Parts: sequence; C-alpha cells; structure tokens
Amino acid sequence: MNKKSLIQKAAASPHIVWSVLFIVAPLIFVMYYAFTDKDGNFTFGNFTELFQASYLEIFMRSVCFAFLATVICLVIAYPIAYFISRAKPKTQKILIMLIMLPMWMNFLIRTYSWMALMEDTGIINSFLGIFGIEPIHMINTAGAVIVGMVYNYLPYMIIPIHSVLSKVDGRLLEAAADLGSNPLTVITKVVFPLSIPGIISGITMVFVPSISTFYISQKLGGGNFDLIGDTIERQFQTAYNYNLGASMSFVLMLLIIISMTIMNKYADDDGGVII
Amino acid sequence: MNEKKIIELKGVSKSFDGELILDNIDLKIYEKEFMTLLGPSGCGKTTTLRIIAGFVTPDCGELLFDGEKINDVPPYKRSVNTVFQKYALFPHLNVYENIAFALRLKKTPEEEIYERVEEMLTMVNLRGFEKRDVNLLSGGQQQRVAIARALINKPRVLLLDEPLGALDLKLRKDMQNELKNIQRKTGITFIYVTHDQEEALSMSDTVVVMANGKIQQIGSPTDIYNEPENAFVADFIGESNIIDGVMLDDFKVRFSGHEFVCLDKGFGKSEPVDVVVRPEDVDVVPVEKGMLSGIVDSVTFKGVHYEIIVTINKFKWMIQSTDYVAPGQKIGIYVEPDAIHIMKKSEFSGMFGDYSSFSDELEHLSDVTEEEE
Amino acid sequence: MKKSNKIYTALIFVFLYLPIAVLILFSFNSSNSTNSFAGFSLKWYKELFSDGATLLALRNTLLLAILSSVIATVIGTLAAYGIHHMKNKHIKNTVLTVNNIPMMNPEIVVGISMMLLFVFVGRLINSSTTLGFGTVLIAHVTFNIPYVVLSVMPKFKQMDRHLPEAALDLGCTPFQSFYKVEMPQIISGIISGFIMAFTLSIDDFIISYFTIGSGFETLPIRIYSMTKKRVTPDMYALSALIFLSILILLLISNFTGNSSGVKEKKPVTLKQKKRRRIVFAATFALIAIITGAVLISTATTETVVVNVYNWGEYISDGSDGSFDSNKAFEDYYSKVLSEERGHKVKVQVNYTTYTSNEDLYAKIKSGVGGYDVIVPSDYMVERLINEGLVQPLDLNNIPNYKYIKDDFKKPFYDNGEETYSVMYTYGIVGIIYNTEYVDEEDIGGWDLLWNEKYSGHILQFNNARDAFGSAMYKEGINVNTATEVEWRNALNELKKQKPLVQSYVMDEVYNKLESEEAWIGAYYAGDALSMIYNNENLAFYYPKNSDGEFATNIFADAMCIPTGVSEENKKHAEAYINFMLSEEPAIANAEYIYYGCPNTLVTENPDYIEYLGEDYDVIYDSDIEDNIDTLFSEYAYRNLPTDKLALLNRLWEELKVDSSSFNGGIYIVSGVIALGIVGFIVFCYVRKVRRRRLYWNTTPKTK
Repeated sequence: MNKKSLIQKAAASPHIVWSVLFIVAPLIFVMYYAFTDKDGNFTFGNFTELFQASYLEIFMRSVCFAFLATVICLVIAYPIAYFISRAKPKTQKILIMLIMLPMWMNFLIRTYSWMALMEDTGIINSFLGIFGIEPIHMINTAGAVIVGMVYNYLPYMIIPIHSVLSKVDGRLLEAAADLGSNPLTVITKVVFPLSIPGIISGITMVFVPSISTFYISQKLGGGNFDLIGDTIERQFQTAYNYNLGASMSFVLMLLIIISMTIMNKYADDDGGVII
Repeated sequence: MNEKKIIELKGVSKSFDGELILDNIDLKIYEKEFMTLLGPSGCGKTTTLRIIAGFVTPDCGELLFDGEKINDVPPYKRSVNTVFQKYALFPHLNVYENIAFALRLKKTPEEEIYERVEEMLTMVNLRGFEKRDVNLLSGGQQQRVAIARALINKPRVLLLDEPLGALDLKLRKDMQNELKNIQRKTGITFIYVTHDQEEALSMSDTVVVMANGKIQQIGSPTDIYNEPENAFVADFIGESNIIDGVMLDDFKVRFSGHEFVCLDKGFGKSEPVDVVVRPEDVDVVPVEKGMLSGIVDSVTFKGVHYEIIVTINKFKWMIQSTDYVAPGQKIGIYVEPDAIHIMKKSEFSGMFGDYSSFSDELEHLSDVTEEEE
Repeated sequence: MKKSNKIYTALIFVFLYLPIAVLILFSFNSSNSTNSFAGFSLKWYKELFSDGATLLALRNTLLLAILSSVIATVIGTLAAYGIHHMKNKHIKNTVLTVNNIPMMNPEIVVGISMMLLFVFVGRLINSSTTLGFGTVLIAHVTFNIPYVVLSVMPKFKQMDRHLPEAALDLGCTPFQSFYKVEMPQIISGIISGFIMAFTLSIDDFIISYFTIGSGFETLPIRIYSMTKKRVTPDMYALSALIFLSILILLLISNFTGNSSGVKEKKPVTLKQKKRRRIVFAATFALIAIITGAVLISTATTETVVVNVYNWGEYISDGSDGSFDSNKAFEDYYSKVLSEERGHKVKVQVNYTTYTSNEDLYAKIKSGVGGYDVIVPSDYMVERLINEGLVQPLDLNNIPNYKYIKDDFKKPFYDNGEETYSVMYTYGIVGIIYNTEYVDEEDIGGWDLLWNEKYSGHILQFNNARDAFGSAMYKEGINVNTATEVEWRNALNELKKQKPLVQSYVMDEVYNKLESEEAWIGAYYAGDALSMIYNNENLAFYYPKNSDGEFATNIFADAMCIPTGVSEENKKHAEAYINFMLSEEPAIANAEYIYYGCPNTLVTENPDYIEYLGEDYDVIYDSDIEDNIDTLFSEYAYRNLPTDKLALLNRLWEELKVDSSSFNGGIYIVSGVIALGIVGFIVFCYVRKVRRRRLYWNTTPKTK
C-alpha cells in the first residue's frame, strides 16, 4: 500500500513541474514586462498609455465585436443544437461529426477562402451578378469581421450546447408537456434552463478566441478594424514594444477573468438567477 | 363503483420499428377507479399508458375521453397527468417550484399557487420541504413531490408508471397504502402500471393483465387470482402448478394419471386443458390417503410455511405446507375440488413448466434490464 | 425533424461548408487566381507534390503533433491519476486551476507569455537559437496537457474505487492493478484526450506563431506567410486532400466500428477485444515507426544547417520547373563539404520568410531566432550595423563579391571599413493603377493615393516606413531628416487618407490589384511588371513631384549575417551568400524576383536581357542607373535616430488605432443587446424573488 500511495503522490509531479515552468513562469514574465519600461525599471507607464482614447476604443471595439459574434453564434447555434439533439442517435452522431469536420481544416485558409467569397469582385458578388444584382460591399467592413468570427467559432457553440441538450432526459420534456406546457413553453421553462451550463461553456469558448483574434480582423477587415489581438501582435512582431504588448495582454487577461468569474458565478447557481 | 366511463380504448394498435407492441387493445376505464396494468416488461402496458397520456399516437384504433376522440390532442391539452417512472422531477427547480409548475403555466395568481402547493405538500407529508433541492431528496420524497406535482392540476385521471419501482421494500409498502389513500381522498381515477403482481393485487379495483401486446384478462384482484384465464395469468399471478389435463366431462378432469372432481364445466368432451392448482391448496397427507403420491425433492423453510418440491409422475409440484417433511420421503397429496381450476389451452400452454428449476430470480433480472430502455 | 427545421439545419451546413467548397473548387482551377475560375486542371495537385517546402512543413506538422500529443498524453494521464488521488483539497484545486489556465487564457496570451520566457532563457544562456523545434514542442505540450487531464480525470472519478482494491485483494501488485484493472477503465479517456491533443496541435497557428524560430516551419505557419501575400492553389489542393482523408477516416470509424456506439454498450466479445487490441497496437506501432524513422533520418548523417530568413517570394524556388536555388546550394555545398571532410555531409537550408523589415528586426532583436542569413533593406542594414546586430563579412569567403557592380559595393548604408552586407536586389517604388477605372489625368504623382474619386479602391502600405514615406514624398518632406512637425504633418495626411483606403497591405497587393478588387496601389517596379503580365488593364508609373523630378523610394536589399552566428556557421552562411552570387542562381533569382540586380554576371548576360525584353528598360531605367548615387542619397530611407524611430512607431500606432470611421452602429447594436440581456436577467431575478417571498421565509426549515 505504501508503494502505491507513493506512486499516487509522484504521478502528478511531472505535470506540476511542467505547469510551474511553462504556465506559471511565462505569466510572471508577462507581468514583469507589463510593469516595467524598456530598461527594466518599474513603471505604470504602459498602463497609462493604454488609457489613451485610441486604445480604449480598440478595447471597446474588440469587446463589442466579440460580444456580437458570441450573441449571433448563440442565436444560430441553439436551434440547430436542439434539432440535432432530438434526432436519432445515429443521425446525431453524423451531424455532429459534420459540424466538427470544418474545424480540422486550417482556420487561416478557411478565413482566406471567405475573403475570396466576400470581395467586391468575389464569388458571392459574381454569383449575384448573374441575376443582375448590384455588388454588395462586404469585405473590409465590421460585418465581414463578425461573420468571420461567427464562422470560425460557431462549432464551439453548437457542440457544448448539443452535448448538454442530448443528455436532457426526454421524460422531463414529457413531464412538462403532461403538466400543460405547449412546445414553446417546454423549451423556455425546461429545455433552456437545463441547457444553461452548455450555453455558458459555449459562450466562453466563442468569446475568448473572438476577443483575442488577430488574423480574422486583418484579413476580412482590411486592417481598418484593429482589435486587441492585432495590437498585441504588432507590439511583439513589428513594433518591438514588449512592454506595451505585455500590459495589453495583462488587461485582456483581466478582462476575461472578470467576465468568466461573473458568468461562472451565475452558472454555479444552476442558472439560478433566471429561474 | 361509479359506472361512468371516462376513458375508452377501442381497437388500439401500435408498432415500433415494425414490431407490434400493442395488438388491438380494447379497454374501458371508469371514474374513480383504481386500475392497474400488470404484465412483464415489453407487454405493452407502458405504451398503453403513454397513449392515454398523449406521448404516443396509436397506429389505428380510437382513444376516447368522455366519449370524445382525443387521438390527436397533444398531451398538454389533456386533463390527464402522469407520475413518471423515476419521477422526472425538474432538476433546475426546487420542491415548491416543481409542484407549482403546472399552475405557473396557467398564470395562476401567486397567492393561489401558494395555497395549493401547501395543500399538496400537506397531502404528501412534505411541509417544510419547499426550498429543498429535488436532487438531494430521498427516493420516497422525490416520489411524493412527483405525485403532488401531478395532482395539483386536479386531473381527471392520474397515470402512474411504475412509480414505486425504485424504492426499497419497506418504503414501497408504505407508499402503496399512501397512494391508495390519496386515490380515495381525491376520487381521481388512477391508472397504475406495474410488473409487481403483489402490488397490483393489493391496491387495485381492477387489474388488467397484459402479455405480448394483448390483454389477457381484466378483472378484480380476486377474480384474477382465483379464476386465471390462461396459463400465463396463472403463472404470472402468484405461484401455481400448471398441469396438462383432459376434461372428461363436466366437473370431471383427469391429470397426473388420476381423475379429479372439480367445479368447472362447459368444456368439450375429452378436451385437453390446463389445470391450475395453487401450492397453498395442496394438502400433504400420508401416502395411502393421497390422491397422488411422490418423492420429496427439497424443502425450504420460508417462515410462514415450508416450500416443498415433490415429483409426481415426472412433474415437479410446489406445495406450501406448515408441516415439515423430510427430503426423500414419500408423501401423498390431497386436492379439494374447489382448489382445482380448469383453463382452456392457450398460446401459453406448456410454456410454464414445473418447478424443476427455480427461475424467479432470472425472470426478475430480465425485467430490470428491459426496463432500462 | 420538421421541414422548417431541416431547412434551417441545411442552411447552417451551407454556411459551414461554403468556404470549404470554394477551396476545393479552386484547387482544380487552371489559373492561379483564387476568385475566378478559369478551367479545370489538376496542375496544383502536381505542383503540391513537387513543392518540397510545403511537404516539409506538412511533415513537421505531423511530427510535432505526434510528439506533442504523445508526451502530453503521458504527462496528462499520470497527472490525472495523481490529482485524482490527492487528499489535500486546496492543493488539488490549485493544481486544477493552473491546469485550466492554458485553456481559459486567450491563445495569443499563452503564445506571447511563452515567447517572453524563451527569449529570457535564450538571453540567459546566451544562445541565439533558442526558438525552434524545441520551443514549439514545449508550447504544444503545454496547451495539450490540460485537455488530456480533463478527459482522463472523469474516468478515474467514474471508476469504482473498490476496483483497484479488488485487484490487490486478488493478488495483483500495484503496478499490475494499474495496468490490468485501472487502465482498461480509463483507456477511452486517454484515447479521446490523445485525439483532441493531436487535433489541436495540428491546427494550432497562434501559439506556434509566437514560439517558432528559424529552421522549423509548420503548415499553419507556412499558410500564414502565404496568406500575407498570395495563397497558391496548391495550398487549396493540400487542404482538399486533408479534408478528404479526414472525411474518409471519420466515415470509416463511424460505419465499420461499433455502429451502436451511441446507444447502450453491448458486451464486447473476446474476439472483438482482441481485434481492437490489434488495431490499437498497430496504430501505436505506426506512430512509433514514423516518429522513429523521422528522428533517425535526421540524426544519422551529419547535417549542416543554414537558416535563411528572407522576404516572401524572394528566391527562385523551383516552381513551374524553374531553378531551385536553395536545393542547388544544398547539393553543391554538400559535395564541397563531403570532399573537404572525407565523409558524407548533408546540407539543409531552412528557408523562412517575413513581410517587413520591422518583423525581421523584432526577430533579430529578440536574439533567439537562430538565423544565419538575413536579407534586410538598406535602412534596416544601417540600423542593424549601428546596433551591432550583424557581423562583418569575410570577403575571402565570398569570392563572387567581385561581380557586384562597383557602384553598389559601398552603398550609403554600409560604407565603413568593414563590409557587413552584400546587395541582393534593388528597386524603385512606383504606383500601379487600373486603366479601366483611373483617369489618365489623375496620374503622375503620389496624390493619386489621396484621390477621393477612387475611395475604397486604394491600397496603402501596411508598414510604417513606407506608408509615412508615401505621405512625405507627396508633401515634399525629406524622409530622412523630417522634423517632428513634419512627421506629424505626414500623419495627418495618412489620417486623411484612411477613409479612402480599402486596406493596408503588403504582398496582398498582387491579388487585390490583379483581381481588380482594388484599383490603385504603390509597389515595387518589378512586382508591378509581373502584375501587368497577369492583368493587362494595369499600368505603372514612377511618381514625380511638382517639379517633375523623381520623388519616390529607391531601396536595396542586402544579405547579412546576424551577430549571434557562430564562427563555424558563419562560414556556411558566407558560402550560401557566395553561391547566390554565382551565375546560375543569380540569374534564376533575378528572373524570378524581377527587381534590379547589382550582379554583372546577371546584367551582362544576354539570355537574361532577352528574357526581360522591354521590361529591361523599365527595371534598369537609364535615368535611374546613371544617377544611382544621387537617388540613393536623396530618396532611400536612412536609419532614423532613436527618438525619430520611437516617434515613427508611436505615430504608426496612432494611425492604426485611429478610427476614422466611427462604428456607431456596432456600438449601439451591442449596447441594445447587452441592455436587453441585462434587463432580462434583472426581470427574471426580480420575478424569482417576488415568487419566493411567499414561501421562502414563512415555513420553518424542518426535516
């Protein structure tokens, strides 16, 4: 027994060492850079720089874009997750597989493909042209960036919602109908409240990458809609301003931690605030 | 008993994936009746219940409620409520909100909801549990919440789908009494589905025995026990020795190489029949006084009585007796004419052999696995 | 499902698969356009299998994915076991929280945090080659572990805790009990964790992007550097193949395996079990063999590696049957070294690309990129020399240096005693416009890029120096000696221009101009000529100022060797530079790049002159050639003093983050939705409280 408990104790140690070295230490470096200037002196300067109107707007814009993308994802994903969860197990498996399949394709190349679709002389407009419809300007607009985010992260919303919905006991739906719920109230009073954990994890999985993306906005927004991700990337890859970049990452991290804490607080409550 | 029909099934059939689950069922349910659908799993009793609740639409036949056809009325418009197997309580709602669910849908004023929920809680002995999380309640408590939730709507008919299946024996007995009391108090028609014959016999006004998608027998518990229609019913309800016999004449039957006097008539001359003798109706007597005799195979002490397996003419009889006999001993048995029940041959004849192997537990196991579906 | 539901589901699938369909369709395009279909052809598939760099990147990606997911699976499974058995709740929670960080943190933060660590360690141990395969591998393992832990942990939780006890009771040793009893219970969790890790690793771009260095390129990174300019359809072909193989794999696993998998678990027969075991064993053996083979093949022969960091599409790469300069160097130098050392030496050129001098600077400055040869532009060479980031060349090792025209031997950026650079190409920035849409009378100067008539069809450089340069040339400001006020003026011009600009681009100009998505853009003369070759509506001019003189940027790109490169590697790097100056590669590169070449072996070669035809006079415009010294001194970018550099960076930031087009709509819509959601939650909360008021406090809490 002693030998066993020793194994049990030791088993996690590589992971702990790894975590300290490659998860905790790097974050300490982010903090270090965020709170120092180029010469390594302690300063809050990086953060005061972030309080310029232009950076604030970038933060605002990123939050808004990510928020809208998340809301749209949720609105689109919920019905489809629900429909799939009501299908036969075999159909469900195939449909879910088909939803995950695009994620195996490189996301850069899929986004690039959207560029070809949405350009003024692109495929969609050429197609509309056949019917004599004037080209619609899509690329390099805020809408295009949001479409790109929705496209890339939609599966991350569908899958957790589906996995919760597919586990909802069919008898609960019958019980609700039996007690007088029509199909709509069955969804609002029973299905929706029960799926809140799935919705929360879906929101997390869409919001976090949306708010920090830097490729989609560059390609589909034409460099006109800088987001936090773009700005951070620029600090590290071209402007060579690690300190400003680190402070931005730090703020981004705080932003996410705060929103996640709020979300989880009311998820822990079993979605208690709503019902 | 009030004789007003409340629900009637006429020629109802249903199949799933090409498999016939209900085969031309006719059933009448009366007001204030406590009716039990009894049968092994897969017999169609739950499907019948679900047709009445509205979760399953019959392939053919009619479902009448107060004389009106309701085949296509969705469940939420039927004045029928269900207590589900494993209760199906809403895990996101507490006890109070679970019970109040139906009233909330009707936009009932809060004060009225409060009064009625409290009334229900009193009825099921759960006052003070309002704020409890339903997931943390014991099985019996969850059961009560489920009943209260289904009854708050004051349905005309309450459907109960194996509601006591998950409870332990002691609790089960208590809940049986409680359910019966609630039914009496409220005067609501109960349609109760179970595979437990003891439960069916002790609670019901009417028992409907089902097998293979067909109704085998409808009757009061005593009728069902004493006058089983066929070998299936005889075997399913209580213990019975079912022996092949030949009807010689009215009131005269021959089996195990012996002629017996009985109380049945109306069979054809020399018609092969199934003969049922309940183990408790067999008396153990000295060999010379016996109508039949055989060697005792085994004896098990059951508390109230001994269970004795005796081989008579290669058929293993079960006998329940308060007197001990030793294994290997030769004994005689005596059967009163009124203890002999004659049944017509049916599809089930010969399926239920003697007591050469004890299959109760196996049967029970197969019940459990099939229930899961 | 109801019909309307089916239609909805179908629409979503159209949305999800539309880009993939486009991608597959265009992989069969006979032209290299990615938005107009010219005809069916398989040439991109053929091209793909002769594209060594892409295949190498694919191999790297697979190797990285296999290694990182195997390591992560081992560490993660052990960790799940250890964490499950932890008695101390606090420690357990802490470990789990830390474990979740890489999942919850935005990828970009994970990426930069690791990059900062590696840069720090690299400086600490004074190594210039920290970033590379090792660092990417560490990064991948790091973000893979949490997924493995999270998929294995629940299996331990579900397991009956008496099972191992039963095993011990029946005489198993602890190890046997783990292997024979616990393992089969958790194997499904391990496998799904492994698969998830593998998938994530294969697809990861962001984290690799920040932790990758020279000499190692994964497929996503390669695609990224391609999408910065022009994605060739062979990438589409590769994606189509990947898509198809995954589809087939999934179909096989879905229809042959246990098709009843979703429903109840049917008892598995021994035979099936045996078969499964064989399948597992086969898969693992295969993985092991591949990994082993790759490792061995790279480890057995002595390999000399030269890491080259160059601009995109800046070397003849063997496409369309052309000369492959890097390959030729590998063969040539391998022969040289093998003879010299008397045994077989393999030479490997790791060739990666960047899209701006600033990108290059950031990598070199971080000091851990491990590059041996870089090709910065003039002002960047000057800066690198000033900051001591490049080292003097030993011209004895570069005999072909003699072929460089004398005018170009001591250019302004490198005219000290030592020689730090060898000029690779030079060229002039001109303006490309579409004759279909742009009026002749509007052309001539830089103000075409500010012409409101063409709003939404103008491209501007996505790089600070060039973008500011365009504004300065237009305003007649000297790009090298501008005062802060003048810089600010230029910024104002750029801000004025921002609403007119379609997008800020570098190499993407090709696609945008050729497809007529944009009409006007400034770019380098040689590139302009190749664009005109692809679209005859395009035309090109060298912008002049109001006095009718050339007022545009002339640039030179030169090969240098960074400071960190060791004595040994420097020799190889010099051999590489020397080779690029020899006749065959120099001509091939010059023909490929289509810029001016300072090499007399090239400019005097009759084949080359014939190849350029009319274009020769554009690229080697006699007015320019004659005045090359003045042009360089007047119009080339010089390295700016630190304060001006900082100013430039700041102003560029200001331009980039300046939102000339206020997205009021977006803010209003998000605000309304957010208010709606908050309102709904408050409404529900209030209703809940009101409902509870009746019973919440009135009844005593009794058991």
